[in-house]
Amino acid sequence: MKSRLKILLSGGAGVVALGALLLVPGQLALSADHLDPPGRTDPAPFGVPANPNADVGCDIADNYVWNDANTVTIIQTFGGPSALGLPAFYDRNVLQTIEVSTSAPATSSDVSIRFRFGPGANPGEHGISVENVPGVNGTIVGPVEQILTKDGVRVYAGLRDDPFFFDNQGLRLSRTTGILQFTNNAAQRPSVFFAKNITAVVIEIPRSRLGNGPIELSSTCSRIRETAS
Amino acid sequence: MNRQVFRKSLMIASPLVLAMTLAACSNSNPDAAAPPVAVVPPPAPAPSPSPSPSPTPTPGPVGRNITACLNQVIPGTGGLTPASLVIPDTIKLDFSRPSGFPNGRLLPDRVVDITLAVIFLDVATPPAGSTLTAQSPGLLASIPVNPGANDVPFLAGFPYLAAPQGSPPLASGTGATFNFRTDPASRYVRVDRNGGPAVAPALIGGTLKNPYNDGNLQDDVNGTYVGGTDGIANQLTLLHNALADDLIALGLRVCST
Repeated sequence: MKSRLKILLSGGAGVVALGALLLVPGQLALSADHLDPPGRTDPAPFGVPANPNADVGCDIADNYVWNDANTVTIIQTFGGPSALGLPAFYDRNVLQTIEVSTSAPATSSDVSIRFRFGPGANPGEHGISVENVPGVNGTIVGPVEQILTKDGVRVYAGLRDDPFFFDNQGLRLSRTTGILQFTNNAAQRPSVFFAKNITAVVIEIPRSRLGNGPIELSSTCSRIRETAS
Repeated sequence: MNRQVFRKSLMIASPLVLAMTLAACSNSNPDAAAPPVAVVPPPAPAPSPSPSPSPTPTPGPVGRNITACLNQVIPGTGGLTPASLVIPDTIKLDFSRPSGFPNGRLLPDRVVDITLAVIFLDVATPPAGSTLTAQSPGLLASIPVNPGANDVPFLAGFPYLAAPQGSPPLASGTGATFNFRTDPASRYVRVDRNGGPAVAPALIGGTLKNPYNDGNLQDDVNGTYVGGTDGIANQLTLLHNALADDLIALGLRVCST
């Protein structure tokens, strides 16, 4: 089966008819969570006017989580894909959470890690505050773009390369030409996520602090509300 | 029909969904219950390409039955099914199994190709004596169908993500005192939530986008986002209606009937 599939696909220089996936009714677009929900976080949603108030800085893109014998690593990316030359999003008015269920039911969060950003005393200084990390006494506070350590936990916040990869350009091409196609040939049509940056928070926790597993992880981003004046 | 199919399949997948009410669309986000107030606006967004424009609707065959797709056990996962992967919308990680999507998610994982495989293909292990050829969850990723890797290598050590490309302005990386908000979570209003890759963008339709992101995992389990035109069941059925013939023509065995 596999070899047959390769033969079938090789005729199109890596471009396959699976692109039809991108042209079905509904707002189907296989990406991670970049710019979704589009009505809130996409500054240029398809088919409707541009949204200059889109909340890109509170737009979670991806979560990653894995473990080894000793640690669990969690990554949350947001505010991307961002064109090169643009800064990170360290929005003081945003609260992000990483919810981890370490015991049934999966709908209950046993560990709710929260992080926020704030400006420093001098221009160009930004800090992160991470709360509720199991086994950590108090909050983890320090400057972004640095590896912070406290009570066996490592935290990093900063602007990084966007790690997601997918042929979303195939969607754009399909829309403009009516020809359905995916391609794995990055030289022919690079992923729209290539050569893009994104803001990221990386947290590494001793595995024993999250129980014996399995765990289930989700995340949220919320923006402060102020009483109307 | 689709609603009934999905309801049945989810009942099989988890007893928790027995109580789901497909017509309901509750919003259990605690923030949503707060009185109307002004929300501090976000700063102007940075211009960046939009990777998720809505596709143009296209007609396709109708009537695919997705029940088997939702309930097929994904080999190598300890019993996960596509239904249990998306409801609730979390990333599952079993420490006793090697990490790698759908058991957790590693940076290099080809998550879109794997997702395409498990929701479209018959990936269930053929019964003993069957003449069917197994289609692994990694079949499409092994080609791959999409780009197979990031454009720059990841770091071997913490923080693992590659350095930013170009010459963007970076924070100074200095400072000891910072001006953080200390407001309780109840003073924030939800903008976005996330779990497994591709679930919300792929399987939640337009009118449910905001309610879904305002909701929580219990809403997922209750079936709040399953029914209706923009619900998961119909969106997945539409996918199969549009694609099954194409996949079969490629020599693949699809999970819908």
